Amino acid sequence: MRSWKQNLDAWTLLTWVALVAIGLLALYSTTHGPAAEYLSQGVRDNFYRQLMWGGLSTIGIGIVLLLPVRVLRTLAYPIYGVTLLLLVLALIFGVEVHGTKAWLALGPLRLQVSEFAKVGTVLAVAQLLSERHTHATENLSYALKAAGLIVVPALLIVLQNDLGTALVFFGLVPIMLFWSELPIPVILLLISPAIAGYLALLSMPAAIGFALVFTLGLWWMSGQRVIGALAATFTGGVTAIVSFVLTKILQPYQVDRLLSFTNPGAEQFRQGVGFHLVQSKAAVTSGGLWGMGFMQGTQTQGAYVPEQTTDFIFSVIAEEFGFVGAIIVLGLLATLLLRLVKLGSDVKHPFGSIVAAGAVGVYLLHIFINVGMVTGILPVIGLPLPFLSYGGSAMLANTALLAIVLNTHMRRDDLSIYGY
Amino acid sequence: MDEYRLRVRIYAGVVLTVFLILGVRLAQLQLTGTDGASVAATNAVRERPVEAARGAIYGRDGTLLADNRPSYTIMLTPRYFDPSKVPLLADLLEVPDTTVQRKLEEAREWSAFRPSRAFRGVSFETFSRVQEHKYELPGVSHEIEPRRRYHTKAHATHALGYVREIGNATLSRLKAKGYRPGDYIGKTGLEKSYESSLRGERGSEFVLVNVRGTEVMPYRNGRQNEPPVGGYDLHLALDHQVQALAESLFVGKRGAAVALDPDNGEIISFVSKPDFPPSLFSRSVSDAAWDSLQSARTDPLYNRATRSGFPPGSTWKPFMSLVALETGQITKHEKLDCPAGYRIGRRVFKNHGGQDEGMISVRKAIEVSCNTFFYKLMDEMDLDTWHKWAKEFGFGQKVPLDIGEQASGMIPDSSYFDRAYGRWTQGYTINLGIGQGDMSATPLQLARYAAALGNGGTLVSPHFVRKMVHPQTGTVRRPDVPPADHIPIDSAHFETVQQGMHRVMTDGTGRWVQIPGIKSAGKTGTAQNPHGKDHSLFIMFAPYDDPEIAIAVAIENAGYGATAAAPIASLMAEQYLNGEIADEWMRQHWIQRMRDSVRSAPPKGFGGGVPDSTEAPVSPPVDRVDTETPSDPPSDTVSTAAATSRRNE
Repeated sequence: MRSWKQNLDAWTLLTWVALVAIGLLALYSTTHGPAAEYLSQGVRDNFYRQLMWGGLSTIGIGIVLLLPVRVLRTLAYPIYGVTLLLLVLALIFGVEVHGTKAWLALGPLRLQVSEFAKVGTVLAVAQLLSERHTHATENLSYALKAAGLIVVPALLIVLQNDLGTALVFFGLVPIMLFWSELPIPVILLLISPAIAGYLALLSMPAAIGFALVFTLGLWWMSGQRVIGALAATFTGGVTAIVSFVLTKILQPYQVDRLLSFTNPGAEQFRQGVGFHLVQSKAAVTSGGLWGMGFMQGTQTQGAYVPEQTTDFIFSVIAEEFGFVGAIIVLGLLATLLLRLVKLGSDVKHPFGSIVAAGAVGVYLLHIFINVGMVTGILPVIGLPLPFLSYGGSAMLANTALLAIVLNTHMRRDDLSIYGY
Repeated sequence: MDEYRLRVRIYAGVVLTVFLILGVRLAQLQLTGTDGASVAATNAVRERPVEAARGAIYGRDGTLLADNRPSYTIMLTPRYFDPSKVPLLADLLEVPDTTVQRKLEEAREWSAFRPSRAFRGVSFETFSRVQEHKYELPGVSHEIEPRRRYHTKAHATHALGYVREIGNATLSRLKAKGYRPGDYIGKTGLEKSYESSLRGERGSEFVLVNVRGTEVMPYRNGRQNEPPVGGYDLHLALDHQVQALAESLFVGKRGAAVALDPDNGEIISFVSKPDFPPSLFSRSVSDAAWDSLQSARTDPLYNRATRSGFPPGSTWKPFMSLVALETGQITKHEKLDCPAGYRIGRRVFKNHGGQDEGMISVRKAIEVSCNTFFYKLMDEMDLDTWHKWAKEFGFGQKVPLDIGEQASGMIPDSSYFDRAYGRWTQGYTINLGIGQGDMSATPLQLARYAAALGNGGTLVSPHFVRKMVHPQTGTVRRPDVPPADHIPIDSAHFETVQQGMHRVMTDGTGRWVQIPGIKSAGKTGTAQNPHGKDHSLFIMFAPYDDPEIAIAVAIENAGYGATAAAPIASLMAEQYLNGEIADEWMRQHWIQRMRDSVRSAPPKGFGGGVPDSTEAPVSPPVDRVDTETPSDPPSDTVSTAAATSRRNE
């Protein structure tokens, strides 16, 4: 029997180190660049704080790796419960930052509990779905329970006014269900409203076209009339609702605001939502192929992109290190995610593979929404880029999730004892 | 299990798809996009002009007269300025909070987003203090501009001129030459006429501006910067010691002095008083100070050396003598009567003091300044001959000169008298023989005339600038000095007149102002004036045998030529030739007298002034010829002087 230590996936760890290092490099450029003297000491210290968080995360990985999988499974629900409690506490006693009441102050530390809620939720859902003993018949009830586990913290986070993070939770629903062996048409059905909604925002004919093609396609694939009818209802319904909301309920300026990401340069957005996007796109574009050079990006050093150390850190990388640097970062992230998918699939026990699927889902949603926002294909939704953005809670939570996947993979032989 | 594998593949596919979408989007922006880069460039990069150092100005012996010093300006951008920082900024600038508040409001009225010059000309210490607190003061920036700094006691205001912020009208005219609002431009004097050489070429500096409008770092490490090209330095013929001495002797006087090198027309000294220190404009001159300059009745902005027309008085007599000798009206040794009075029709024109010198030669007539001798010459001279020769000496027309505005003076011909008086007789023109009546000449013209008398008939082109040297490249440019004209008069006649003028210095009205140890020649002039005391004039050149300096001095309302103008000219010549004023009682006495007691009297009609007071209200100079009027002499510009002369006949 191989030592479980030999099963530790070094590639994942190395990728993680590389990403954290690049994040620190970008953060250093924004806080210690030639223009640093115009920043307040607090902002400049962010680099050292993040360095500290990186160190704490490394320790965190070590601690998580030491835990037997059994303990993780046992603790899944209690952890979930604690994070729910923290979410409630944050709602009551939380500190408001940028209009979001997601922070709990513990002495000098401020924790964004919604980040930790992701870990708890992924663990709890994995635990739930891996408890199943039979297939097919109970699928739907488990699916609904799992969805419930996800929706409860998501709603609490909506109440905290942190729509971005809540979106990640809602996004987890189809991803986790996909892994839970529900039939693929059902999964597609569950995803379809999101796609229809997005298209409806951009262009009504496109949304209608999608609804038609999707309904017919799904009908043909499943051969079940019910599925086809549901598909038509979901896609057509969402399209109709979006159209109704856009034209009848929202004031024109609200519609403009919602759609500002499609035309951020418009005069009315210059100082508001559009400002982020215009400046961020400008940063990315001006990076060109090779970038403007470390500490040489004009957008970065001039602090034109708001939140450039947190949600918009990717604009710093894209501007100063160019297409080459940005692609390397995307490549590292893709490598990490694909590696995690593989690690998950290696674990034969559903707990391990579902945790991996959940982690990948969380990261993927963050990356897609974050980079999509930075490059101007998605509206501005405040979400950090995992491992790269400044922020201790996200760093700790994301790393913990990663460590849990590594751990379940490392101890996959232990898990099989608990197998079906 | 196949189902399971499929799911893994689908999942991996979704992951790949997402990254593919993001990668394509990145490529679209970074490899093909251009508009974003221009957004980045326009918002973050500011082109900042770097002013070229204005050329310095050096005196005759290489003494630095004027160069540049940095002037610090604190700028405010109201949009980015944090109002709670008003007390901090006020503290650093050592001004009341309300001042900062007011400047902020003024700035906002102009533009909320662009930096405006709020505190100009702050000291280096203040500037440094503000710099140290820069990061606490968003919306506060600075600008360093070169300003003129003057190094000698000599003002030479009207020669050097001054620089001032460009006005709107000039700006719209000169925009094509790269002038921008807030630029400084030479307004008068050499600063104006050599503007294009002095100015140099502005450079550019590209700086990165952060989102709060603060300049934070050089853009691309300054690789795109274009360094400014400095202007040419002017090397003048002006002797700052002679200039400073002359200015000190002009205390309380209105008038002008011009000293030339008779060999080449280089201007050794150029005084117009009253004046003002040119450094007044290198500080940020307050509007109040500017108004007081403009409204002062003494008009310090007015260049008397080139724009004031004086009747030349007896300094005109050498001219009359030369013309009479050249035209054969008299000969060198021929003696004419010098009676106490000269009768034309029923009127009698008198000698000064009414003395009768008997039969005298032209030399003696110059020495004793006999009016009746020259009345006779004028009586027998055709007015148009007189006019033609006056023109030969450069009178009645503008003098070639490398600065500013000039009056042409006024030399009448017969058509002038036809226009002005209709029927006129010799009685109207006889005064022209002694430099009075309907005529005027500027001090500059008189200096050029004195130089021609000294060098034997070469009418030089006066000029200040000897050469322009570029301080970085060493390139030398020479100014275009028009060639000298030759006055077609036999040099023997010049010798005769020079001898007469030498006698003025040894035995005549100039005998008290002889330069110790140096032979010289001169002629005093006292121009009668209806508005008050006579104008005091003097022309001279020295040394007598090979003149190195020719001077004309004209002082308004200061009495006899020998009282005010002559001592000043003589002291200037001594300073120039000897480098110092002899420590003799007589010379020191003249200095004291000039500084302490000889004053321009207030002209009549402005009464109440104390003659000795420099503050005394005074009229504009007698015979101000507006340069805007055509050079054809308009009668009214000289009528005051002309009218008096006739009354004093």
